[in-house]
Amino acid sequence: MTLSPFTIALIGVIGLLGIGFYGLMISRNLIKIVVALQIMVKGALLGLVAAGNANGQIGLGQSMALTVIVADTIVAVMGIALGVQIRRRLGSLDVRDLSSLRG
Amino acid sequence: MLTLLLVAILLIFAIQAIRARALITSALWLAGVSALSSVLFYSYGAHLVAVIELSVGAGLVTVLFVFAINIAGDDAIQAQSVPPWTLVTALVALFVLLLGWFVLGVPVVAPVSPVAEAPLSVILWQARGLDLMVQVVLIFSGVLGLLGLLAEAEAPLKGSMAAEVAARRDREMQTLDSQILQIEDVRK
Amino acid sequence: MLTTLTLLTIGLPWLGAICILLVGDDHRRLLNILAASFAVLAGIAAVAALPLATSQAILLASLGGVFGDFTLIPDGLALSVAAIAAVVGSLAVIFAIDYMKHSQQLARFYALVLFFIGAMVGLAVSGSLLFTFLFWEITAFCSYALISFHNDDPRAVRGGIQALIMTQVGGIGLLAGALLVYAYFGNYQVNSLLEGFQAVPPGVLSLVAFGFLVAAAAKSAQVPFHAWLPDAMEAPTPVTALIHAATMVNAGVYLLARFYPAFAAVPGWRLSVMAVGVLSALLAGLLALTANDIKRVLAYSTISQLGYMVYAVGCGAIFAAQFHLFSHAIFKALLFLSAGAIITSIGTRDLMRMGGLRRPMPFVYAAFVIGSLGLVGLPIANGFFSKELILEGGLTEGPFAFYLLMLLGAGITALYTIRLLWMVFHGERRGPEPAHDGLPAMRVALGLLAFGTLTTWLLAGGFSRLLADTLPLHGIEAESTWALVQQVCLAPATWIALGVIALAFGIWFIRSKLTAPAETLRPLASAGFGLEELPRRIADWTDRAAVSLQITQSGQLNWNVVAIPLALIAILFVLLGFK
Repeated sequence: MTLSPFTIALIGVIGLLGIGFYGLMISRNLIKIVVALQIMVKGALLGLVAAGNANGQIGLGQSMALTVIVADTIVAVMGIALGVQIRRRLGSLDVRDLSSLRG
Repeated sequence: MLTLLLVAILLIFAIQAIRARALITSALWLAGVSALSSVLFYSYGAHLVAVIELSVGAGLVTVLFVFAINIAGDDAIQAQSVPPWTLVTALVALFVLLLGWFVLGVPVVAPVSPVAEAPLSVILWQARGLDLMVQVVLIFSGVLGLLGLLAEAEAPLKGSMAAEVAARRDREMQTLDSQILQIEDVRK
Repeated sequence: MLTTLTLLTIGLPWLGAICILLVGDDHRRLLNILAASFAVLAGIAAVAALPLATSQAILLASLGGVFGDFTLIPDGLALSVAAIAAVVGSLAVIFAIDYMKHSQQLARFYALVLFFIGAMVGLAVSGSLLFTFLFWEITAFCSYALISFHNDDPRAVRGGIQALIMTQVGGIGLLAGALLVYAYFGNYQVNSLLEGFQAVPPGVLSLVAFGFLVAAAAKSAQVPFHAWLPDAMEAPTPVTALIHAATMVNAGVYLLARFYPAFAAVPGWRLSVMAVGVLSALLAGLLALTANDIKRVLAYSTISQLGYMVYAVGCGAIFAAQFHLFSHAIFKALLFLSAGAIITSIGTRDLMRMGGLRRPMPFVYAAFVIGSLGLVGLPIANGFFSKELILEGGLTEGPFAFYLLMLLGAGITALYTIRLLWMVFHGERRGPEPAHDGLPAMRVALGLLAFGTLTTWLLAGGFSRLLADTLPLHGIEAESTWALVQQVCLAPATWIALGVIALAFGIWFIRSKLTAPAETLRPLASAGFGLEELPRRIADWTDRAAVSLQITQSGQLNWNVVAIPLALIAILFVLLGFK
């Protein structure tokens, strides 16, 4: 079965998204959660680039991917900074300790 | 063929990043994911994004992670995950299956007459100029947020809350004082 | 000009609410000044718009197919209700300056009150049923938020939830009617229904008519939807005066009056409206006879007087109903605010712990007496003229049996009013010493309202001309004030009513000989004849359901994340289903 490059990329996208979700739901460490987020964003980037390639509009795909990279880097930075501050103030990075709701 | 191999290794790296016990290992596997996806981007013709992804994703973000792990400590949390493992796996499997079925059935229609695309710089600066402004705003707000987040001193409280907090502190000081006096009395 | 004034009447309170929220809780004096000025300005705008009233709808904005046109109908009916809401509302805000002197979260209070006033004005002047419904819901929300303002008191919270649920039931009736109108006319315009109602099949018209009746009964606290009003007395007194005298409960009567021409021909509708009015007037009157909380007596009295208005609408006496709405807003606000002055002065709401307050609180006593004159319907107060007009209208247009029952209701009104007056101000002192005789801001509000009670009946002629000119479909005849006064004073119905009132006063003074009937009535009435149990149960059940749903809010990040793939899977199912 000949897979077009686009289909291969789509498999990669779906796989990365799935792995990212798994990591988000499983991890108890805040920094690990940021790592999982990053993996999901890599998947999105791959999808954008592959779509641009398949459509013949790679310039458009790159522009959008650039915006996503900037946004995602800032998210990573903020997440890490939050993690550091939480570790300092509350003493723990465990997700279970970070809830004060009584539900 | 090569692309398929690269994607397969990419997925393996990602799984390893999630499964790693120590945080440093996880960050290093993430760097590997970034590097591999950079190679993939290049192979799809997105040269600019490949370079940026390599320097930002594999470079900057990894350095940040290492820095944060140094500050925050590398205690790996061994306990059970909060939602049960079976539920998570089932959800992810269902999601992957549905998405695959939905997406892979889409026929890819290449443009009938491949329109000569404008050079990248034109697209970036003119057609998507607004995106660039958004990026500037994002970076600016990110820097501001970071400064606020990493501020050491507590912000001064405003108005009535300050009065309440001050009153509470006074009461606590008084109880402490009376306790000290009691201890001194006992000692005498 | 008219559009600007009407929009100012809606927009000024809302602008004031935003300004107050921005100022925050710390600058109390600034908050007081802001709230009072915005409310008074809105009142001035509303009154200034009155002479300009027209029966033409004004198109504000065309919002496309689904939402229809946002129009205003600034006719006499709408503008009078709006003016009542704005003016009495501003007096309640002035009163609140002293009443809420020691309260926390003042910004939230004032913002909600102003938001409420603006929404009520919008409800009255809106020409599109959809926007009427929107403003209806906003007033319901504001009433809930204000009734449960002291949200650490479980009784207040329960009262608020009760009010919200019961008025929502009414809201469903209104929405159903609005949707049916849209189905048959293609738009939500009020004028479409009023002018073209003959095109609607009779069954559907009945549905709309009774849907609106349910909505009006729930909003105006008529039987069987009346139970939320007495329990809503937990609100701070200015809120009570605002919601339960001046604004929200008038929305139901307004709705019935507005659509009377369209529904008058629906078989059984007029009779049902009259029956609802008579039942409420009598039942609430009996309940007021045995209540021991001063605000509760006034609450039942509100239900009873609204029953009179609803009865008048059912008889077709639209002018009498609106005139009584106007008079009632003034004298009921006066009574509620006087009660508020008494409550802050003594510190209790229990009638058994009052008494003998005539000497230490002469100003409040005078205000209360004037308000009572209006409530009972004695000459010189505005309530006399409006109530007699209603009784006359009932005598000529409605079943005679209903007229007799309403006459009985007038007697009961007199009885519980003199009971209230006696227990609070006469006799021996049974409770604490009063701290003050009405603080300055309170006195301003009370004085203005008392003056209004004694003089606003002079506006009757102008009012009837306003309604007759701008409501072509309602069959109102304009009469001058002098003609109306003559008509009321010379009618035999008036003398009969005055005789019944005198009889009621007499009964009070020989009450020690009448203990037997009183004792049989008391336990039934104290339990509200069983009708108040159901809403309390519903409110409790809502509370318990909310508590049991807390488990979904675990606060754990991982569980919150689980919701994301779940939602995505649901979306994918839907998308795949469409393929």
